[in-house]
Amino acid sequence: MMKTGYHKYEKVRDLLRRSVPGLDSQAQLEEKIITSIKEGNKRGNGYPDILGFLFGWVYIGWVRRSLVAVSAVLVIFFVYQQAVIMKELDYLSRKSIIIDGSTGTVNTGDIEKRLLMYKLSGKKPAEEDLNISRQQMDELIESVNELHDKYRDLINIINSDPELRKYIEQKLDKKEKSKFNL
Amino acid sequence: MTDLKLIEESRSGNLSSFRKLIDQTSPFAYSVAFRLLGDDDQAKDVVQETMITIWLKLKKIRTAEVYKTWIYRIVVNKCYDQLRKMKRRPEYFTDDRTWSVIADNTADTASAELENSEIAGVINLLTEKLSPRQKMVFVLSEIEQLSADEVMAITGLARTVIKANLYYARKRISELLEKYL
Repeated sequence: MMKTGYHKYEKVRDLLRRSVPGLDSQAQLEEKIITSIKEGNKRGNGYPDILGFLFGWVYIGWVRRSLVAVSAVLVIFFVYQQAVIMKELDYLSRKSIIIDGSTGTVNTGDIEKRLLMYKLSGKKPAEEDLNISRQQMDELIESVNELHDKYRDLINIINSDPELRKYIEQKLDKKEKSKFNL
Repeated sequence: MTDLKLIEESRSGNLSSFRKLIDQTSPFAYSVAFRLLGDDDQAKDVVQETMITIWLKLKKIRTAEVYKTWIYRIVVNKCYDQLRKMKRRPEYFTDDRTWSVIADNTADTASAELENSEIAGVINLLTEKLSPRQKMVFVLSEIEQLSADEVMAITGLARTVIKANLYYARKRISELLEKYL
C-alpha cells in the first residue's frame, strides 16, 4: 500500500518538477522594484535604517526580530542601571566625608546621618564640624523636652505603685551585681 | 544563470545593469517563491522585497555561483517567514477539482505541464498539513531538486534535520495520495 502511495508520490513530484511557475507582468514588477529603489535613494538611502544596518545580516525574520527585541531590552536595562548608578553617585557626592584624616566633613544632611557617619568612621567629630541649623536645633530641643516629660511620667507611675517600684529596684540591683561579676 | 559583469556593474550603482539583473533573476525567484507560497501576489511581493534586498547588499557578492545560493536564501527565508504567519487548516482540504487535475496529469501517458493556478492548487493541497519547515525542505529537495548540501547552505539546517523533515513530508504526501487518488 505504501509502495503504491510512493509510486503516486513520484508521479506527482515529477509533474511538479516539470511545471515551472511562469511570471506574468514581469515588466510591471520590474518597474515597481526600480521605483522602490529610486524612492529609497531619494530618501537619502533611508531604506537601510539603523535596524537594517545593525541586523540586516540576519535573513531569518523571527531571529532578526528577536535580536532587535533583546537588544532593546538590554539598552533599556543599561540606561536604567546607569540612571541608578548616577543617582547613587549623586547621593554619595553630597555626603562626602574624609575618614582617614583628622578632619571629617559632611556637607549636607540631617544630624542623625551625620553622626552615623562619624560613628562609622570611628572618629570623634571636631566641634567646629558640627554645624547644625536653627531648625535642627529646635527639633533637638523639642525631642529632649519630650524625652524629659516621658521620663517624669514614668517616675510618677513607678512611685505610685510600690510593688512595681520594688520590682524595678530588684532588677536594677541584679544588673549592678552582674556587672561586678563580669 | 547570471554573469558576474552584470553584478559588478550593478554593484557600482548602475540601475540599467540592475534592471537586466532583475530580468534574469526575477523569473527564477518568482518560481521558488510561488512553489513555496502557492500564491501569485505573495510570490511577487517576495520577489520585489528580494530584489530590493539584493540592490542594498550587492557588495557582499563575490562570484556568480554564490549569487544563486544567495538569492535562494533570501527568497526562502522571506517565504518561510510568510508561511509561519499563515495558519494551517485543521483538516485535509478535499478539493475535487485539484484531485482530478492530479489524476489527469499523473496518468502514464501524461506529460503536460500545469498552469500556475494548478501548481498552486496541487502544492497547497499536498502540503497543507506539513509544517513550514517540512514544506520548505520538500520544495527545495524534491521540486527544486537541490542537493542536501545546497539545502543546508540555503536554510542553515543540519543534514539530519533536513533528512528527517524530508522523510516526514514524503510520508505524509504519499499517505494523502494513497487515500484520495
